[in-house]
Amino acid sequence: MGASPSTPSFPFPLREARDQEKASGPFKRQPALPPFKGLGGSRRQSHDWRSGLLSGCGSNGGMHWELPRALRVSALCSPLLLFQCLLLLRAPASLLGDQTRRVFLEVWEGPTDPSKSLLHIRAVGANSTIHYIWSNLGPPAVLFVATNTSNSGLNVNWTGLLSSEPEGSLVVHPTDSVQFSSALIFSKLFEFDSTNSSEVKEGSPGKPYPPYLLADFSWGDVTLDLSTLSATFQGHPSKDPLGTFTNGSLAFKVSAFNESGRPAHLPRLQHTADTTHLELVLAGAAPRGNHSLFGLEVATPVLDSECPQLKEQESIDDEYCPSVFQLEQLLWHSPLGGFLQWRPIAFSQKQLNWKTALSCSVSTPGPTLTTLLPQSPIVRAFFGPSVNFCTFNLTFGNSSNFAYEDHRYLSWSALLGIGIPPVDSFSPMILGIMVVVLGAPGLLLAGGGLSLLLYRHRRYSEYEPIN
Amino acid sequence: MEDDVNRALLEAEPELSAPGPGAGAGPEAEAEAGARVVPQLAICDPAHLAHRLLALVFMCFLGFGSYFCYDNPAALQIQIQNDMHLSTAQFMLLYSWYSWPNVILCFFGGFLIDRVFGIRWGSIIFSFIICIGQVVFALGAILNAFWLMQLGRFIFGIGGESLAVAQNTYAVSWFKGKELNLVFGLQLSMARIGSTVNLNVMGWLYHRIATLIGSPGHTTLGVTLMIGGVTCVFSLLCGLILAFMDWRAEKILHKEEGKTGEVIKIRDMKDFSLSLWIIFLICVWYYVAIFPFIGLGKLFFIEKYKLSPRTASAINSIVYVISAPMSPAFGFLVDKTGRNILWVLFAVVATLASHAMLAFTFWNPWIAMCLLGVSYSLLACALWPMVAFIIPEHQLGTAYGFMQSIQNLGLAIMAIVAGEILDHWGYLYLEIFFIACVSVSLLSVVLLYLVDCSRGGTLNCSVKQRADLSKSTHAE
Repeated sequence: MGASPSTPSFPFPLREARDQEKASGPFKRQPALPPFKGLGGSRRQSHDWRSGLLSGCGSNGGMHWELPRALRVSALCSPLLLFQCLLLLRAPASLLGDQTRRVFLEVWEGPTDPSKSLLHIRAVGANSTIHYIWSNLGPPAVLFVATNTSNSGLNVNWTGLLSSEPEGSLVVHPTDSVQFSSALIFSKLFEFDSTNSSEVKEGSPGKPYPPYLLADFSWGDVTLDLSTLSATFQGHPSKDPLGTFTNGSLAFKVSAFNESGRPAHLPRLQHTADTTHLELVLAGAAPRGNHSLFGLEVATPVLDSECPQLKEQESIDDEYCPSVFQLEQLLWHSPLGGFLQWRPIAFSQKQLNWKTALSCSVSTPGPTLTTLLPQSPIVRAFFGPSVNFCTFNLTFGNSSNFAYEDHRYLSWSALLGIGIPPVDSFSPMILGIMVVVLGAPGLLLAGGGLSLLLYRHRRYSEYEPIN
Repeated sequence: MEDDVNRALLEAEPELSAPGPGAGAGPEAEAEAGARVVPQLAICDPAHLAHRLLALVFMCFLGFGSYFCYDNPAALQIQIQNDMHLSTAQFMLLYSWYSWPNVILCFFGGFLIDRVFGIRWGSIIFSFIICIGQVVFALGAILNAFWLMQLGRFIFGIGGESLAVAQNTYAVSWFKGKELNLVFGLQLSMARIGSTVNLNVMGWLYHRIATLIGSPGHTTLGVTLMIGGVTCVFSLLCGLILAFMDWRAEKILHKEEGKTGEVIKIRDMKDFSLSLWIIFLICVWYYVAIFPFIGLGKLFFIEKYKLSPRTASAINSIVYVISAPMSPAFGFLVDKTGRNILWVLFAVVATLASHAMLAFTFWNPWIAMCLLGVSYSLLACALWPMVAFIIPEHQLGTAYGFMQSIQNLGLAIMAIVAGEILDHWGYLYLEIFFIACVSVSLLSVVLLYLVDCSRGGTLNCSVKQRADLSKSTHAE
């Protein structure tokens, strides 16, 4: 499917797509992304300044290049100089050391059924590559793999993958370059009846309807938008006796990035080149009751005999996503580490704003029986048959706010990445305002107190000669 | 609400703001009249303390409905925004509409009572207006018409502040020269209790009605508000009873009908000194960081600190709970010590600290809110009496009317601004906005000190210095 480099001067990557028709689609120049706060605007893509080392010292390489530009920017607004510098120090350099990556999006279609396909996102840095492999074979699943070479690739044996024993049919090579790997399987879409939820057991969102098994969905083609480096695939139950999904669909929209930034729309999660953004949209599906709440079951393979850790991070800073002070993170423990990061918020309309926001709660990941989970061929192909799984549930809305039925729309976003999750920091604007607002009265009080003391001292000393 | 500051002043300086010539007939007339009437039960005898206390109960409850319903939106913010599908800015319009009529009415409340309606009809009419306002407000919710809710709040605003003036006038008419300080203290406490009960009860009431009706929604909201409106009807009943008692007392004791004695002359404005204008500034910038914050507070505590709605309501109402007992205490303190500017400075700095805590820390919000409650009470007791030191008594009415008017203008505008900020930039920006407002207020306090010092004013004198000064002026 080709890729979209940020400047035309950069050599176009090899097109690995099998579908030449799609490859001839729009190959637009990447629009300028909003400048990453504190780091200045767009950047050149050249090899000289990038030092991508797995040890993470690459952030220094980036810093040398960035600092003069930041200073130049802040010279225009000198009071913010200090804070720009402060921000630079706090700026989330990606752990893999690459502040920018070349991103390639490819669709690998199955030989027998083109709708059974893989989406391969390859984010190539100087000395590392991150692979995100999405699949709609079985339940929707994503495999994410980090390697320490810029030349790693993906091998798929379709015959094996579509067989009942897919082990080994999907390989990231060279295999010894793999530094981290994990996966997420989106197994079930829950629906709850939240009426009289107080009568249901405490903590439950309501009486559950039979869940939709996402493995039984039929998924459409993956559509690529190279200008935004994003891909979408959507599906609906292949058997729908109640007709709830007649006009409805569940869509996964995946976006990759070749540099750090923050989208303009809520929930405004900060991304780096090491991350991909997932937006899940349930639209048009008819609820089975008057007060339906939806939820999602997500499974992940157990690495090092531990479930990933769910951690809630609190911040006083809600400037990026008004009135949300929490950031949920699912952290995989390993030397490199991976994460799924999201704000506890979902939206009930296409207009993403405070008015349409719903709460989003999550359960602690716990081990589950493999037999209870549908098989994901890519996960089994990569990790083998004997891997165990942990699951966690997301619930959107609560019994006092079940706005789905009004607009039949639900969207939830998360960031999937490798390394340390990005951390929000104060924007220069708020830092500037804070300094003025707190500094002015502080200075005034200190200065006023001091001058009052001096004045009194002088007044008394002036009287002395008379005595 | 704004008039509590007026009461705080009356508490602190009863002799300064006591009504002018028309207020009550004085103790001698009353004693004389009392001697002539046929002996009757103490509770029925207008000359007797027991009867006055009975009147006091009704006086206190006269304002209860208005205070209870004023903060209905704050108590039901989540429900109103969910059921009516409102942004925060739209929600804050409910507060804004309450303030708009009072930008004008602050000048005329006294005039209407003295010249047009009289105290009895005045209080009945104003109570009736708040009833209508609340009913329209509730109907707006039932009919799912937000414009009607806004109209309801506007009507409610017309009655609310003027009713407070009527309540004060009754107090002066019945208790002047007797237990007036205590009475103002009690009325203030009652107002606070009204607000507190509202903040803590309405959410629960909504939940109960939602269970009864079957689901939450705008109808549930409307019914809840309608039930809240019962307090306004109760206040109207108190107004009727009080009017009857006042009429009866007038017959028996041959006393005059109470008057506010307020004389408002807009032309007096040109005589306002620089210090007075600075006091207005302090007042408006301080209060815009208090009332809109309380209006938005409940959801803030739920969102930021993950508290239950019940705890959030309790924290949000703590400012009122503290102010009930602290206002008389601080009134006494400021009376005894003087140095008003210093006290105002303390109060503003404490408020700044409190907002800073809420903005920049996850510390237990009880700390910040208690500090806010204390500083708010202190400011009311130290700021409002200052006006009386720099303005001749005959211009006091105009000065206070102006001060309240500006304050209402500030609240009307800033409520919307606060809502917009919250919608677009979140609570951190909102808190910083409030801090900025308090900072401006702080700068104004310092400016006031400098201006007052340079002009040889007495605002920051201790009581003893003031007494010495006044002695020396008299000697001259």
